[in-house]
Amino acid sequence: MKIIVAIKQVPERDAQIRIDAQAKWIEESGLQYALNESDAYALEEALQLKEKHGGEVVVLTAGPERVGPTIREALAKGADRAIHINCADLGARDALGVARLLAAAVKPENPDLVLTGLQSDDLGQGQTGVILAELLDLPHSSLILHVDKTDSGLTVKRELEEGWFKLIELPTPAVLTIQSGGNKLRYATLMGIKRAKAKEVRTVTAAELAVDAAPVVILERVALPQKQKSTQMIPGNPKEAAAALVEKLKFEARVL
Amino acid sequence: MLPLNATLAEPLSFSLAEKLLLVVLVAASAAGFWLRFRVVLGKILQSKKDSSFRLSPIGKRIWDFVWEVALQAKVIRQRPLPGLAHALVFWGFCAFVLVTLNHFAVGLGIGFLSPVGFFGRFYFDFAAVFALACAVGIFGLFVRRFLVRPKWLGQQLSYQSGFIAFLIFLLMVTYLASFFVADADPATRVLWWVHTLALLTFLPIIPHTKHLHLVLSPATVFLSHGSFSQIPPLAGDEDFGLIAGTDLTRLVSLQAFSCVECGRCTEHCPAANTGKLLNPKEIILGLRSYLNDLGPASEEPLLGKYNPQEAPFQCTTCGACEFQCPVGIEHLPILVGLRRGAVNTGAWEDDYGSKFFLALERGANAHGLPASERDKFIEKAGLPIFDGTQEFCLWLGCMGGYDPKGREIIADFARVMNYLGTSYGVLRKEKCCGDPVRRLGNDLVFQQLAESNLEVFEQSKVKKVVSICPHCVRTLQEDWKEYGTPPAIEHHSEFLARFANKLPHQQNQESIVYHDPCYLGRYRNVYKQPRTVVKLAGKLVEAPRNHERSFCCGAGGGLVFLGEETGERVGQVRAAELVATGATTVGTACPFCNSIFRDALAETGEAAPQLFDIAQLTARGLPKNDLS
Amino acid sequence: MSGIWVVIEERDGHVSRSSWEAVAAGQKLAALTGQAVNAVVIGAKTEGLAAEVATKALGKVVRIEHPLLAAYTADGFTLALQQFFAVEKPEYAVFPHTYQVRDYAPKLATRFGQALIGDVTAIADGPVFIRQLMQGRLNGSYRHTGNGPCFVSVQAGAFRADEAQAGAAPVSVFTPTIEPAQIRTKPGERFRGTAQTVDLGAAQRIVGVGRGIKDAANIPLAQELATALGAELGASRPICDNGWLPMERQIGSSGQTIAPRLYLALGISGAIQHLVGIKGSQCVVAVNKDPDAPIFEVADYGIVGDLMEVVPALTEAVKAAQQ
Repeated sequence: MKIIVAIKQVPERDAQIRIDAQAKWIEESGLQYALNESDAYALEEALQLKEKHGGEVVVLTAGPERVGPTIREALAKGADRAIHINCADLGARDALGVARLLAAAVKPENPDLVLTGLQSDDLGQGQTGVILAELLDLPHSSLILHVDKTDSGLTVKRELEEGWFKLIELPTPAVLTIQSGGNKLRYATLMGIKRAKAKEVRTVTAAELAVDAAPVVILERVALPQKQKSTQMIPGNPKEAAAALVEKLKFEARVL
Repeated sequence: MLPLNATLAEPLSFSLAEKLLLVVLVAASAAGFWLRFRVVLGKILQSKKDSSFRLSPIGKRIWDFVWEVALQAKVIRQRPLPGLAHALVFWGFCAFVLVTLNHFAVGLGIGFLSPVGFFGRFYFDFAAVFALACAVGIFGLFVRRFLVRPKWLGQQLSYQSGFIAFLIFLLMVTYLASFFVADADPATRVLWWVHTLALLTFLPIIPHTKHLHLVLSPATVFLSHGSFSQIPPLAGDEDFGLIAGTDLTRLVSLQAFSCVECGRCTEHCPAANTGKLLNPKEIILGLRSYLNDLGPASEEPLLGKYNPQEAPFQCTTCGACEFQCPVGIEHLPILVGLRRGAVNTGAWEDDYGSKFFLALERGANAHGLPASERDKFIEKAGLPIFDGTQEFCLWLGCMGGYDPKGREIIADFARVMNYLGTSYGVLRKEKCCGDPVRRLGNDLVFQQLAESNLEVFEQSKVKKVVSICPHCVRTLQEDWKEYGTPPAIEHHSEFLARFANKLPHQQNQESIVYHDPCYLGRYRNVYKQPRTVVKLAGKLVEAPRNHERSFCCGAGGGLVFLGEETGERVGQVRAAELVATGATTVGTACPFCNSIFRDALAETGEAAPQLFDIAQLTARGLPKNDLS
Repeated sequence: MSGIWVVIEERDGHVSRSSWEAVAAGQKLAALTGQAVNAVVIGAKTEGLAAEVATKALGKVVRIEHPLLAAYTADGFTLALQQFFAVEKPEYAVFPHTYQVRDYAPKLATRFGQALIGDVTAIADGPVFIRQLMQGRLNGSYRHTGNGPCFVSVQAGAFRADEAQAGAAPVSVFTPTIEPAQIRTKPGERFRGTAQTVDLGAAQRIVGVGRGIKDAANIPLAQELATALGAELGASRPICDNGWLPMERQIGSSGQTIAPRLYLALGISGAIQHLVGIKGSQCVVAVNKDPDAPIFEVADYGIVGDLMEVVPALTEAVKAAQQ
């Protein structure tokens, strides 16, 4: 199977958030970056499929120069080669614009399967994979925990709300967005990193792909949320406190 | 009755036939020895060269050789009675060198030490004393092995050892008996030939058994012990640790063949003592079996057939094994090397381990918590930030920065430093020092952490570091050297002891049992300073196993970040030992020990002793109106 | 182009709560833009569903019906709505942000050359749509600038279902053209995971028991609260060490790592090993008699009190709220 895994490099999960001067995004200087979490699961799923059925795993990513280490990490974990869409203005494109870039790089590769993570840790839109499927005119499914190859295509396990699951059959080629937690992730090893040095990374600029970049949705401004997380100590005797807590859990935290 | 002026009897002369027979037997015995020894030597020399071996510090090597080999100090000290018995046997052998040479010379008619000459008389009497001591010693060891049967010597009785003991005994007895006969007596000739045959039987057996240590261990002790737990840097792009025979270096092979199977390593191993698979002796013997069966050029995995992969991963790296070994075997680099081989190639598939490595790949601390938690603590505790002007950089570490108890220890130590007027600051950014991944054998993550931290240290112009955690101290000082030049670092017990005369001497007589952390005691040889600090706060009580015999708490080697232990919990065993001293307080000097004992002591119930770090014990003695 | 269309989703044969919230959102958007707000239901048999929806203050309710829409598929729903919107030409399409919507709304938006503004938590004048970034640590204001419908999905709980105003709306039917070959995925029946072993890692609500419970005999108190909440029972290490609860229920760095929406820590002080195991929890409630217990540092809500009194009171309050 030829599997393309679209990955994204995102700011580290507990990076300190400071708004930049124009209040349009966060201050990027001093940030550490890492592979997006659900993309790591997508990569893991691809590697396991390759181990079972043979083939090739290609990682695809769009971003500026700094995505290099993340590409190497993916190669170190077992991907065979990488395609880097060198794009300095990823933030200026909306989900549709980014998906168009990826689709332009995927089309000539003719993969059997395209995997993306469910959503990114920074923007969290969760749309790239679904849009990609539409642009490539391929069937898709999202929130996938497990992929099985069958004679007629694939059977995948999709997560539903409230602890339910569903099995879905679809033909290949197809696009799947992978949910975190379906597999045990492999850690990057020294051997993997050393072997990665010899693997191909093909760079293509966003301009070369010549896609329509005009956004239809723009992120005007960012701001820190009003309420900072602090502990609310609930006073009163046990009965009072209990009642007050349940009220807050229902309407404030919205977890009941 | 033995007349005081008895001399050693020697046969008057040997016939030509006897001389020829002697020559043939000596040749055969020597050949028997060489045939096998050549193979062993070959396997050692064919092993990979140790790329990072340095002869210096030569002074230390010479000292260790004198102390451990010649004086048998470690052999005796760590197992007094059997150790003394062995020492007597060894010294007996040493004393017998001239005797033996002369013995064969006599057989060829060219004896050079006259039993009636001045020097000869003195020397043979001198040797007789040693022969007696040696005979007593070897008899004692025989009784120990076959009648007492300590479990460290293994389940199966070693008849091979029994036979060797018999030969040695025979050698001594035949020598001593020679004082009771006259030269002309036919018994003298019989004694002479029995002695000769015993020797010539012994010689070829040596390289086939653990008695190979007679030849190898002096070299092993000299060549090993460059320093304690010295983990060699990986040699080039294709070196990932100890995976197959081709990865075994000459030093490791030499060590594997030197093992005397005494079992001291296993006797003191916390894993082996709590029902785990890990048995340090079996690890080394496993390597020896591998070398014997497959050789140093084999690509077969080292783990699997001779030792399960699980075993090395149960090691807390406490170092009791390496510390105890009388023949210079360095278990720690071997165990870490085996782990490296499994981890650097991804062959180790452990749920907790993988999660741990992934957390450190992406994050800054071993707990996987956001770095902002540390920032919050610094702010709340009012700790000054290091700006290059202060004398000390206070390293928080993953426990000091994130663990509630660790934070208490830091806060109290800061109070003490304020009281002493020390200028210090904490770094804005700290990543895990990398100790757990270093001990688990993940060189990729360790390199990333070490280099990142070293860069911060350089940019911040840190000159001196003080830390509450022995693991951090060790890792910063020794392991980071592989990737740069770390600043000077000391443990807070060393710092506090230096100011002992300025710190208040608390008057209470509360009994405090002090637990020596592995990474402070055996790794760093710091025993006195924490005790000085404890004595400021109360009455010092020693645990039954203390100083270099201290029993690990079980957290080291990265194990505290992995899943639950099988069998008994190491920490509970040690906690029970500490509680049994009857002390009302347990004093620790390591936040990991503290964390382990916290849980373990809680199970003791209401009567559990209190648990304090030495910093907390010191701080409570500070004047109450000190608002720092 | 005009009008706001709210796309209703079905749950167990009725309108889902998140759909009512979407209706409330649609009505707010209507107030801001002066547009009419309508609703559409999709399926093979939608009469009952449409009747429910028609009890709200909406301009129109449309039933998109086709046998091939009996089970949800991305192809089917996208095709149906594409055809419907091609006719209605809405200015806004509002969805509840559910797993199902995430699976097809971006596809639908792409068909119109648009991009979904998803998981919106508030709608401000403009209209400007607010959504969370960086896992909730940042808010972003989005504006739609394309020539085509503006596709929006709203976060569960961001709008209140009970604020959807009542009314009476006319119902009509729309029949899309769908060929079987156009549906490329074949969904099976939904099923639950195998519940043989305790999997705290997947539980959405967990009640954790610590040393503060004092005695094994008190554990049933915690169990009652857990049952009332529909939660799993977990414990800190000492409880499992004592054998009061099995080892699989241990929460912590050497036990299970949990990420529920709600975690109640009862009598747990908050040692690092435990904190590491719970850091993925969305909402942490701590009950402890020690006001200085470290657990309160990481809790969203805290009650200082005696477990023996607070826990039964909580159980009662939870049961009362479920009425």
